[in-house]
Amino acid sequence: MSTDTVAKAPERAAPPALGHPARGRAFRDQLARVVMWVAFLIALIPLVWILWTVLSKGVGLVLDSQWWTNSQKGITSRREGGGAVHAIQGTLIQGVTTSVISVPIGVMTAIYLVEYGRGKFAKAVSFMVDILTGVPSIVAGLFVYAVWVTTFGFQRVGFAVCLALVLLMIPVIVRSTEEMLKLVPNELREASYALGVPKWKTIVRVVLPTAFSGIITGVLLGLARVMGETAPLLILGPYTKSIATDLFGGYMATLPTMINQDRTESLQPAVDRVWAAALTLILLVLILNLAGRVIARFGSVTK
Amino acid sequence: MKIQRIGLLASVALVGSLALTACGSDNNTGSDGSSSSSSASAGASDCPEGGGTLNAEGSSAQKNAIEEAIASFQDACEGTTINYNPTGSGAGIKQFIAGQVDFAGSDSALKTTEKDGKIEADDAAAYCGSPAWNLPMVTGPIAVAYNVKGVDKLVLTPAVAADIFNGKVTTWNDKAIAALNSGVTLPSEPIKVFFRSDESGTTENFTKYLKAAAPDKWTAEPGKAWTGKGEGKQKSDGVAGAVKTTEGGITYAEWSYAKDNQLGIAQIDNGGGAVELTAESVGKAVLAAKADGEGNDLRLKLDYATKEAGAYPILLVTYEIVCSKGKDAKKAALTKAFLTHFASAETQKGLEDIGYAPLPTEIQTKVEAAIKALS
Repeated sequence: MSTDTVAKAPERAAPPALGHPARGRAFRDQLARVVMWVAFLIALIPLVWILWTVLSKGVGLVLDSQWWTNSQKGITSRREGGGAVHAIQGTLIQGVTTSVISVPIGVMTAIYLVEYGRGKFAKAVSFMVDILTGVPSIVAGLFVYAVWVTTFGFQRVGFAVCLALVLLMIPVIVRSTEEMLKLVPNELREASYALGVPKWKTIVRVVLPTAFSGIITGVLLGLARVMGETAPLLILGPYTKSIATDLFGGYMATLPTMINQDRTESLQPAVDRVWAAALTLILLVLILNLAGRVIARFGSVTK
Repeated sequence: MKIQRIGLLASVALVGSLALTACGSDNNTGSDGSSSSSSASAGASDCPEGGGTLNAEGSSAQKNAIEEAIASFQDACEGTTINYNPTGSGAGIKQFIAGQVDFAGSDSALKTTEKDGKIEADDAAAYCGSPAWNLPMVTGPIAVAYNVKGVDKLVLTPAVAADIFNGKVTTWNDKAIAALNSGVTLPSEPIKVFFRSDESGTTENFTKYLKAAAPDKWTAEPGKAWTGKGEGKQKSDGVAGAVKTTEGGITYAEWSYAKDNQLGIAQIDNGGGAVELTAESVGKAVLAAKADGEGNDLRLKLDYATKEAGAYPILLVTYEIVCSKGKDAKKAALTKAFLTHFASAETQKGLEDIGYAPLPTEIQTKVEAAIKALS
């Protein structure tokens, strides 16, 4: 291949005396290609490494049916057995609750910014969303702790965790939805107006369905992000080994806190559980991402 | 319409999580019948009616012990759930004062002296509306663990130990060590000291011991951060693992870690003869501790420099900190039942297998009396 380019180069660069610079160009081209491949492979190393480590160490327990049906109640770090159903449920319940709160707020904010927002107020909103995007998760957790526990004196419960996660999820949804709405061609809106359709109906019936698949993808990506979030959980969601479904009373286990609980243990049963919980979390996030892709493919508006 | 698909999606997610809820089970008792603690059900015969949930937080040194007690208590009392999060003694006390947990676990009793403008014991009493009691529940000896080929028995005095951990004695066949271990052939290899690089209650108690028993050799102030020589490793796992793989290594760690890694454990001679680390010798040292609190507030003052024969002096006592008058009658009843179970002779006996020492009978009776007086 390289000989090919070198052979052809003198023909294109007219004077034969200039064969050298052409060879230099081909060399630089090859060099850039090699550097990019090497960079790509280097970036791949930690990814494959992590996946392989987690998979090889965690797969044993994850394939055990008890893992998906039992909690850790009554299991100490010296004992084997038990499962992660309490943590999986907690993660799903908190994820769904967080979405239920943040999706309407996020999507409507994006609609405002794209369809209605003009002037200073819209700029301020947009700016605030940018700031919110940059808020570290631990700050979100501490803020909710300050409001929920210190100011109001409530207990640390699952719902407080959801509130902190909402802070992290809203900016992701606003940004992705905004991009999707901007992609909707203006001609569609104009055509709708021309038929005498009011603005709100145009948004609900024309703009949103067109951008639907993109919005869903954004929501699922945001959900995947908050499900793996750990910092607010450490502050607001103490771990429990039992199944808990009450968001407003008592502790609720989640996969990240389950990992954190046994992370310092050296005893084999506990170590195995940590790896298996990590693998389960990766699987959950993977499934969500795949679901996002599938919906994006089948949910898009056909011409 | 496209919007209906959101509904579809949401319902799939909901049904999915409900399905998971439906088949999830908290019942793990069938999985392991041979556990040492499963026979302790008799100790918790007085289960509170209707079950309930208790939340606790604090010392990580007692994590393994309280986990066993919780497991056997939950087996015996249906419908009860007890959560213990090992976030550290300081965090446990803070959450207790803030009313976030029902009781706290701590490596040290509530402080009665002012620190940063606050007195822990007063704050806790203000939250409880009654004095908060320190109940000693678990004693954990700290082992001086070593790895020297061919040396199964090693005797150390606090002075020599201080010199080793200060880096003054650097080889195993140093005269100071040889004088204590006549008849043992010590190799001429260097001593490699490992210490906890994270802040730890174990370090604090170990340096407190060195300071108390060999004040002229160990001059640094005791604290959670290590001030001696050596190489730092994270957590008890780290130091114990390092000694296991390093010929000539020595460290201090909780007994269970020394046991789990099959390390040699030094006998300590405080002046009353060499003492092996056993449940009994630890119990003797706990007995030698003086009660420092009033009435049922059982704070203990350990006598690290004890010269009593057969008492192993390096240990740490972890407490449960409770309100003497519970704020919520149901929770108070559950706390009482659980602590009774934890302090019972059977549960305490089971702790021996996992590297703790049971409370000596005399103190255990006092603790039980204090628990009875909780209301």
